[in-house]
Amino acid sequence: MMHGETRRLLRGLGFTGLWIVGLGVFTAYPVLASLYYSFCDYSILQRPVWIGLENFRQLATDDVFWLSLRNTLFFAAFSVPLGTIVSLSLALLLNQEVRGRAFFRALFYLPSIVPAVASSMLWLWIFNGQHGVLNQALAPVFALWGGQPPAWLGDPAWAKPALVLMSLWGVGNSTIIYLAGLQDVPRELHESAELDGAGPLRRLWHVTLPMISPVIYFNVVMGMIGAMQVFTQAFIMSGGPDGNPARSTLFYALYLYSTAFYDLRMGYASAMAWVLFLFIAGLTWFANRIAAKRVHYAS
Amino acid sequence: MTSRSSSAYRFAIYGLLGGLALLFAFPLVWMFATSIKPVEQTMESPPTWLPREHRVLLGGEQVEVNLDARVAAPSLWLVRDGSAGGEHRLVPAEGFDPAAFEGWRIAARPEPGWWLVTERFSTKVRERAPRRDVVPPDAVQTRVRPRWENYPVALASMGGRSVEAAEGSVEERAFNPETDATFLDFLGNTLVVCVLGVLGAVLSNAIIAYGFARLKWRGRDALFALTLATMMVPFPVLMVPLYGVFKDLGWVGTLLPLWAPAWFGGAFNIFLMRQVFRTIPEELSEAARIDGASEWRIFWQIVLPLSRPVLAVVALFHFLHAWNDFLGPLLYLTRKPTFTLALALQNFQSQQGGVQWHHLMAASMVTVLPVIVLFFFAQKTFIRGIATTGSKS
Amino acid sequence: MALFPQSFAGRRTLSAFTLALVASAGFLAEGCFRGKDAAPGGAGRVRVTYWEKWTGAEAAAMQEVVDEFNAAQDRVWVDFVSMAQIDRKLLVATAGGNPPDLAGIWQQNITSFADRGALLAMDDFMRADASASQSSGDAVDGFMARYVPVYADMCRASGGRVYALPTTPSVVALHWNKALFREAGLDPERPPRTRAELDEFARRLTKRDPATGAILQAGFLPQEPGWWLWANPLWFGGSFLDGRGEISIGRDPANMESTRWLRSYTEEYGNEALQRFASGFGTFGTPQSAFFTGKVAMILQGVWMNNYIRQFAPGLDYGVADWPAADEAALARAPFTVAEADVIVIPSGARHPEAAWAFVRYLSSANPAARSRAELRGMERLCFLQEKNSPLREWSPYFEREHPHPKISLFRRLSESPLAVYAPSIGVWQEYYREINTANEKVRLLEASPEEAFAYVQARMEPSWRRHRESVARQSRVSLSAGGPANRGDEP
Repeated sequence: MMHGETRRLLRGLGFTGLWIVGLGVFTAYPVLASLYYSFCDYSILQRPVWIGLENFRQLATDDVFWLSLRNTLFFAAFSVPLGTIVSLSLALLLNQEVRGRAFFRALFYLPSIVPAVASSMLWLWIFNGQHGVLNQALAPVFALWGGQPPAWLGDPAWAKPALVLMSLWGVGNSTIIYLAGLQDVPRELHESAELDGAGPLRRLWHVTLPMISPVIYFNVVMGMIGAMQVFTQAFIMSGGPDGNPARSTLFYALYLYSTAFYDLRMGYASAMAWVLFLFIAGLTWFANRIAAKRVHYAS
Repeated sequence: MTSRSSSAYRFAIYGLLGGLALLFAFPLVWMFATSIKPVEQTMESPPTWLPREHRVLLGGEQVEVNLDARVAAPSLWLVRDGSAGGEHRLVPAEGFDPAAFEGWRIAARPEPGWWLVTERFSTKVRERAPRRDVVPPDAVQTRVRPRWENYPVALASMGGRSVEAAEGSVEERAFNPETDATFLDFLGNTLVVCVLGVLGAVLSNAIIAYGFARLKWRGRDALFALTLATMMVPFPVLMVPLYGVFKDLGWVGTLLPLWAPAWFGGAFNIFLMRQVFRTIPEELSEAARIDGASEWRIFWQIVLPLSRPVLAVVALFHFLHAWNDFLGPLLYLTRKPTFTLALALQNFQSQQGGVQWHHLMAASMVTVLPVIVLFFFAQKTFIRGIATTGSKS
Repeated sequence: MALFPQSFAGRRTLSAFTLALVASAGFLAEGCFRGKDAAPGGAGRVRVTYWEKWTGAEAAAMQEVVDEFNAAQDRVWVDFVSMAQIDRKLLVATAGGNPPDLAGIWQQNITSFADRGALLAMDDFMRADASASQSSGDAVDGFMARYVPVYADMCRASGGRVYALPTTPSVVALHWNKALFREAGLDPERPPRTRAELDEFARRLTKRDPATGAILQAGFLPQEPGWWLWANPLWFGGSFLDGRGEISIGRDPANMESTRWLRSYTEEYGNEALQRFASGFGTFGTPQSAFFTGKVAMILQGVWMNNYIRQFAPGLDYGVADWPAADEAALARAPFTVAEADVIVIPSGARHPEAAWAFVRYLSSANPAARSRAELRGMERLCFLQEKNSPLREWSPYFEREHPHPKISLFRRLSESPLAVYAPSIGVWQEYYREINTANEKVRLLEASPEEAFAYVQARMEPSWRRHRESVARQSRVSLSAGGPANRGDEP
């Protein structure tokens, strides 16, 4: 007869065995291997060779690496705050007592589940400098000042803003999250604020936003982490991993991908991956610290 | 709040909602509208919504034409008789010098506003030049006709046939299953990845989550903490070594890396299911245990049936993820017959020589449509899934 | 905390998935059936997958050679696939251990691919063939002797091993517009022979609007289309690497001289006027490109130019001549030219390297006695259909006489010149090439002096080249000490 403790352990391991294998093979080993490779010269076709901090030293002087970081931060710095404003506004609108809320909610949500490849094709078409519907609409406006609308994805100055604009179309997911958060705000709080003579804006600022600040915090952090890894849209809309035009959409994940799989510099790419990991971890930690002071957690 | 300001307020709310709804709906509607247009109408300025067909009586038969341009000033439509191609020229009526046009005949005297039309170019009639004419506006019969034929053509050329071959004007070369693929291959591959992935994600995560939620064993909480910690790791960190793992397994170039990992659980889904399993009253399990049920039977016959909603959420989001995934197929698939829809669509768009917009939009539409259908099928599950997964972690 | 109400809301979703499961099972079954009845030729043979960068007519030419090979024997079947961005896709697939058996890349890629261990050396196949036929001497040199030396040399990566063999080659020659020569009062049959003559003819062939000074026609512009500007330093007797194998772009005075020449054209025409003039050029390979429209009277171009002229400027009266010599003294020596080649490689990890080699060997041969189009074999059929010179030393009578390019003998002679140069076989050439082009561009647009521009390239390339060599040395040390199968050459 087996000892009860051992039997419980075996039963627990039996149920979680798949995960223990999965965790080991698909997460733990890759994380550690990636860390090791980041100190190696490694092309995947040959054995990794230890070179110490060489990869990181080289990163520090790699202009393209810094450019990709700047591009990514630019994208994150615009898409995350704008996305938050848009999705929060949509949620606030939907939280009013409106008829057809389910319909509007579905409508705003739907774009966020459109496959990124397909939505990239669509926005390529909309942003097309010559025949795109956006510039067809903008041309008369610009003509008032004798100008022409930008070539968007063809223009190094406008390619990133175009991607930001496109990202706003996919905010439906966070809209739903905000809406759920808003619906958890107790009605009594609003009613008592209203009795105190607070207008809608004051109520928004002093009651609603503080109440849903944990949700906002969560969404912004997730948004930042997502924006740091943006890949598919940029890969498709710039026609590959070079970040055309003129490397203006060369994002971190694109440079990492092409370093790893087109240059076969897997060690260098692993170093980049770890820099990203530390950057994201640092960002989260920093956001946590701010959150601890500012975010109001409903108990 | 007074009723007047309240009604103005409501008006503003509906106005804003309506406007934003139009903005959000527009891109997808535009995708669809483009996908059923003939190619020349995709590039019209100003843009138009509906695909139209213009017909004109040319040489005694009703043919479909393109409206090329409007005549600006009174002019003459000259035809050179006898020449096989039927040479035509439009010249201003003012200062017309018949001597300079020996052998030409005046076929019409177009007024401003008349249409310059060309027989619509079909790849099937390449052997002769399209006919041209100038006709008064009322001679043009216009009706709305969606070009559904864009879809089969786009799907066929997505699989690697030329547009000409797909339209039937050029003979197709032999199909080689080693190197060629059809749209059905892409759809089949995508469904394999989605369905096997969904089955794996639902089953494995449920089993694993049960081990975390309903059993007590040494090391459980430590392992669960480790599980939560892995959610922090961004994919790029895993990308390179994972590629090596799949290479060593001999999986690169197959669909396996895209669905097999789902059978070994995922941190987020384990977490989600564990939360739900913990809400099921322990007394149910206890009663079953007293009846001599094994832990597996309790899981399978009591806990699982009670957790159907969360299973649906996991299934749905895994399906969506697998259907939409691009980076995975880009990394692991190299041969066309193994491509998923997302990769095939990108491959179609980036092929040499470029793709015409109406075909690209038709192919994109086909990739989007199942997602839209799924959404309407399972809207409640979607909304509940996001609302809970997003705000409660 | 109740996340989900105990309802059956999930049932609909789950049943939808069941439906999808059934549907996909149907697809799988359908796929199995179709796989059976659609098997083309090649049953029972070793199947070799061959990725090529070509599309259109060039791909069709190779397909014809592949068909010929498939019909000529019954052991190997080659599946030919056109693939865009082949260099990148090949590396990804090779890294994943799932490469094709054969791939068509560019000669400029060979060393960088080989240095990363992505290519299989072909030396052993050549040795095995030689020992089977019991021929004497070094098997590899013996095999490579069938090629014109410049094409044989460019296929050897650092370390001297052969990692690729040429498919279709090219060399660059001077093309001139005879009608414009006549208009300018020059002898239409007498092209410039030296650089000084090139400059002088260029001046005489240039037309400007007398009122505005705008350029209407240019005799010669080094940057139109400027595909071989990187080779200018060599034309001027300069170098990319010095005798010790170190980067020399910023050290060799002849290199500066070559960009000063480039700059002299901008100074001659005026920077702004030149840019305005050049903005009216169509891209190369369209009827609107500068040479076809008579906007530029002389151009340095490859062997394919004849084909382009036939398509885009039929009837253009043009001549082809040697790349002008550096000076009168050089005229007595062999002509300078730039040679390039498309090459075929066997990636490391190929499933059927021997069968792949059988096709490569077939492609490296021809029928030297061919007297008709139908008798052309292998390499000659490919080069004939693509209208290029053959990289083989020996040409069949039919190939030379009936070649669609009337001046093909000139290209043959140029390729045999001992002064024919090619992109250096160094693993960092891609980067070096990009930097040289950027430097040339800066000097040409008067944004930097030749010394500044090349000093910058020198500073960028020195560490990069050093790192690359360190990496290669490390890798070969590892493969030596491990005694494992070394992919790359370790002998000097």
